[in-house]
Amino acid sequence: MTAQVLNQRWSQAWGLISRWYSIPLLLLVWQLAVGSGLVESRLLPGPGRVFTALVTDVGNGTLLYQASVTLYRALIGFALAALVGIPFAVAMARSRLVRNLFEPIFFFGYPVPKIALFPVFTYVFGIGTPSKIAFTFLECLYPIVVTSYFGFRAVETRLIWSAQNCGADPLTILRRVILPAALPSVFAGLRIALPVSLIVVVITEMIGDSVGLGYYITIWNTRFTFANVYAAIVVIGICGLALDQALLLVRRRAVYWQREAA
Amino acid sequence: MRINSAAVQHWIVPVVVLVAWEVFGRAGMLPRYLSAPSAILLGLWELASTGELFPALAASLYRVAAGFALGTLAGTIVGLGAGLVPGVRHFFDPLVSFLQGIPKIAFLPVFLLLFGLGHASKISIIAFSCFFPVFIASRHAVLSVNRILLWAAQNMGTPRRTIFFRVVIPAAAPQLFAGVRIGLAHAFVVLFAAELIGSRAGLGTIITSAEEWVRFDLMFAGILCFAVLGFASDRILLAIRARVLRGQTIGTEEQGMR
Repeated sequence: MTAQVLNQRWSQAWGLISRWYSIPLLLLVWQLAVGSGLVESRLLPGPGRVFTALVTDVGNGTLLYQASVTLYRALIGFALAALVGIPFAVAMARSRLVRNLFEPIFFFGYPVPKIALFPVFTYVFGIGTPSKIAFTFLECLYPIVVTSYFGFRAVETRLIWSAQNCGADPLTILRRVILPAALPSVFAGLRIALPVSLIVVVITEMIGDSVGLGYYITIWNTRFTFANVYAAIVVIGICGLALDQALLLVRRRAVYWQREAA
Repeated sequence: MRINSAAVQHWIVPVVVLVAWEVFGRAGMLPRYLSAPSAILLGLWELASTGELFPALAASLYRVAAGFALGTLAGTIVGLGAGLVPGVRHFFDPLVSFLQGIPKIAFLPVFLLLFGLGHASKISIIAFSCFFPVFIASRHAVLSVNRILLWAAQNMGTPRRTIFFRVVIPAAAPQLFAGVRIGLAHAFVVLFAAELIGSRAGLGTIITSAEEWVRFDLMFAGILCFAVLGFASDRILLAIRARVLRGQTIGTEEQGMR
């Protein structure tokens, strides 16, 4: 009996190891490569030194402050894009005039690398926070509008007709029929846009700013202190993971009748 | 041509914006950094006739093409491997799920130091950032191939090689293309950021040096080239996709719009 339990435990543990071994393995290889002097430790500091840099700068609040600036910019830009984009997608889906006027802007603008416009944004909005938020807004607007537009278009006309038949007014139909039916697509668009917001803020901070994680990376890079660069990369990774999990949590609440794919 | 026909309405917003930009720009009512569209076209002509444009265009195009090709190739091969072999999948999954959320441009300082300011650092960081979306798409694509198709092929005694090339690859192709398209978009973002942050050639350099000379018409001309380059590459990819997947897209709503 106990042997059986032990066996089961062992196979569970083995499953866990075989699934997650690559991260500790790579850390080990990294440490060995640096320790043996195979890689120059100035260029690639060992995991220990990165961890020390991480703990030091999280401890004295530097990294937390820079991360809060970056997250603030990313989330404001993202929220503005959602606030403007979702109603806009509804309008495009429901009104032929709005659709005809703006479809070319969104579908031909979608594959255009909008990052090229960032220098113009710095002239219009200045170099600091406003230009980052405005640019994040633009970058997030496209996936949100395009993805949720397809969702709103795909709402079955039958559902709308039967609601009208029951005497529902347009606002009730929007709130109780169209919105719930399109909600999974809306969340799909939000989930594409959220990491985009973080990426865009970091890139634009690297191009030019005096605060934020992107700036932190650039400044430690010019001082050739790569342990801090890697520490910032770890912080960005954790922020991205946390944002995605938070969005999934909201989605689970809002779209409780359908589970997300992967 | 009635005013309420779709074809006319499609053009209203772009034409109104361009005309207003030109008119207000000529009247001097716009800030100086918003060069009028006609001035931008003249700037483009100036760049082309002084011979600055084409070397820069060639440098940018070379970097993005080489990086995209390398990253897509590696992402496809490793992703297919991860989809087919559990061992490969277990090795890459934790790494990818952590690295995927990080803007790859954050590694640019490291790549610049490793490979210098020239082509190699741009190509390698573009390849690095293309790898992830392509890997994820091809891994998922292989895993979501309909079992019944595989069983049917096995039942008829198809050799494994043939199953791979005739069943798995065609079934995985649509999802794979979706990943490649995301990779292409990433490639251009990374190219631009890399050229702006540390480079001595390319369209990004034209844009930054135009800013320094306070020649906003040239800056916009560079931006225009960059936008056209990105847009055209996406259209080429969609055309290839339509050709490869012809027969698979019948009856779906996509008309190359997304």
